[in-house]
Amino acid sequence: MCAMSSSSSTAISTGTSRTKILFLGMRRSGKTSILQVLFDDLPVKQTFYLEPTMRVAKHFIDTVIPLEIWDCPGNVTVDTLGASLADFSTIVFVIDIRDLYQHPVSKLVEFIVAACQINPDINLEVFVHKAERLQEDDKIENFRQIHERVMDRLVDESPEFEQFPLNFHLTSIYDHSLREAFSRVLHKLIDSLPYLEELLNVFCSNTASPKAFLFDTSSKIHVATDTSPVDQATHNLCCDYLSMLNSFGPLYKSNANDPRTSRFSPTPAPTPPPTATTSTPTSGTSPVGTPPLPTSSTSPVPPSKPHFYPSAATSLSPSRPGTTLTYHLVTPHLALLALLPTTVYDMRRGLVEWNVVWFREGVREIWVSGLRGGLEDTG
Amino acid sequence: MGASGSGKTSMRSMIFSNNPASLTSRLGATIDVEQNHVRFLGDLILNLWDCGGQDAFMDSYLSTQRSVIFSHVGVMIYVFDVESREMEKDLEYYRDCLDGLSQFSKDANVFLLVHKIDLVRDTERNAVVQRKVAELEKASGETPVKVFGTSIYDESLYKAWSNIVNTLIPNARNLSKHLRIFAEACSATEVILFERTTFLVIATSSRTDSSDAFPSGPVVLHALDPKRYERTSELIKAFKQSCSRLREEFRSLEMELAEFTAVLDEMTKNTYVLVVVHDPVIETAAIKMNICMARKKFEELQGDSLISEK
Ligand SMILES: Nc1nc2c(ncn2[C@@H]2O[C@H](COP(=O)(O)OP(=O)(O)OP(=O)(O)O)[C@@H](O)[C@H]2O)c(=O)[nH]1
Ligand SMILES: Nc1nc2c(ncn2[C@@H]2O[C@H](COP(=O)(O)OP(=O)(O)O)[C@@H](O)[C@H]2O)c(=O)[nH]1
Ligand SMILES: [Mg+2]
Repeated sequence: MCAMSSSSSTAISTGTSRTKILFLGMRRSGKTSILQVLFDDLPVKQTFYLEPTMRVAKHFIDTVIPLEIWDCPGNVTVDTLGASLADFSTIVFVIDIRDLYQHPVSKLVEFIVAACQINPDINLEVFVHKAERLQEDDKIENFRQIHERVMDRLVDESPEFEQFPLNFHLTSIYDHSLREAFSRVLHKLIDSLPYLEELLNVFCSNTASPKAFLFDTSSKIHVATDTSPVDQATHNLCCDYLSMLNSFGPLYKSNANDPRTSRFSPTPAPTPPPTATTSTPTSGTSPVGTPPLPTSSTSPVPPSKPHFYPSAATSLSPSRPGTTLTYHLVTPHLALLALLPTTVYDMRRGLVEWNVVWFREGVREIWVSGLRGGLEDTG
Repeated sequence: MGASGSGKTSMRSMIFSNNPASLTSRLGATIDVEQNHVRFLGDLILNLWDCGGQDAFMDSYLSTQRSVIFSHVGVMIYVFDVESREMEKDLEYYRDCLDGLSQFSKDANVFLLVHKIDLVRDTERNAVVQRKVAELEKASGETPVKVFGTSIYDESLYKAWSNIVNTLIPNARNLSKHLRIFAEACSATEVILFERTTFLVIATSSRTDSSDAFPSGPVVLHALDPKRYERTSELIKAFKQSCSRLREEFRSLEMELAEFTAVLDEMTKNTYVLVVVHDPVIETAAIKMNICMARKKFEELQGDSLISEK
């Protein structure tokens, strides 16, 4: 089971209380593929060779909040699960979009009924999966039918389910719809979400950015975004941009003895915030001090640039005004991605960076308190 | 050249028309010869002949159309499907084509692509390609050939095609020399020049191996991923595609990552340059400035080299 755990599972043994998510669905509906593509960097084409899951496999993921995701075999039941449904914050049920028969629906309904008895607050999500297999019209029709059947069956169980909040998402590992859906699932679990959104809103308004995301860099799931609506194309571009940057890093990484490798400690201390400022971006919070984390005090860093934060920018459309897509790593796993007018990026770089620093302070505060396990809502 | 279904039109559409690999399954068989003129490096015009590979066409190329097909050939690229079940027949056609070349275009370069290697499992890929290389070299007799394993699903295609177009770039050596001087000025570990539309590599200067080490200064040898050039082409082309889906156009990229600092920007009207620096003191702004200053020189160089060819 350890082999299945995510690469970012640094805190498995520490007793942090993890938010638990349960993945259910028929055999070969795509549960293991989803989790391995998102969290283990499995190339999409390789999912073809995945063996059937025989026992529950647990993924430990440290993103903005610590997660524990259970990947179950297709034949698991409420009784054989080996845990109470009360332990889970969310159940994700994966249905193959071509699977219009009764079986997956019955199973789903069985779990929903059981879950609601034990844990009425549980979030229930349905991934109508492998959506790319169908043409647009069929896709919508099948999605609608699955939705309708599940709701009908639930009402058959009890009329109370009429208004039941069950969320349906169209997903596929072949595009970023999966990431978008998972983001929505995750957002409901992040207590500090309003606070993160507020930080992003402030960043956007200070830098004239039309859209900014806080992304988990390796899974490319956004953990928060400003309150302007998410345009799918922009979201996809950000995911593609992250993929490209993730690939570039190792490509030109030098294996020679390189002073640079010691330059970036994965958990750098925050830059001291600009002094004597009373108008912090988020009222009611003060910037945190250096978190109690290991620092590389021996790094041969030139004094002019005391800390090193990975960042990148790509300029799009050669015509003025043009857009620049920026990337700033703010914690070891989280990056701020923002669309900026190129004029702002080119001419007012200082302003942008100043705002990044403030943003980073705010996120770190949440991240550090998350690491300590006691997540409190600061917003 | 190559048997029907071996993947000729697919690779052409990926390299020269920026189509994604996923769209190639919609291509129909090529009827007779499809001729294409593509601009490369602005003024160099490549005349691509994509020869439909069905037997009837092949027979006609080798008989009635023989002189038309095999005259004025600069490069012959012969594509073999790695899973071909008719290797004997493929080789027979191939040998006939070599004959045609020796008759009408003695100086043509010959490239052989063992294609669709993605269909072979990772672990066996090297061995399979090695075996094919031996087989193909034997079939080529005296003719010098270069063999590459390729797939439209990974960077191998860019590697092969960068090699192919390199034989066509006049004065490539001079370009490399100046690239090296430029690299030194930037304290760059590596500088790569790409053709603008295809993102094929046309010249590189690297401090990674001693034969290419800088003559002066403290020489730091860096060991970098051997597939980096082709992977870069692949990554940038994929990203350009994502940008175009948003009706945006990719222009430039700068990165200060944990591992290195780099700038990718326009060098001349027809080229892009990637400068990779491992010295942590150097900032992207300095690199951008250097690129700016080198632009004029490289425009001239490119102009010269093309004029000298005519
Ligand atoms: N798996 C795999 N399939 C490929 C690759 N390259 C091309 N194909 C597929 O092979 C099929 C035939 O490709 P074409 O490019 O039309 O073949 P062609 O050589 O032009 O064929 P003719 O025009 O009849 O001579 C298409 O369905 C492509 O998607 C590859 O690298 N790997
Ligand atoms: N076309 C398509 N196939 C998928 C998708 N996700 C998973 N698959 C395939 O579905 C099969 C079963 O996946 P697996 O993850 O083992 O299913 P599990 O039994 O639910 O864990 C594999 O062959 C995957 O390649 C998808 O989004 N689209
Ligand atoms: Mg063809």
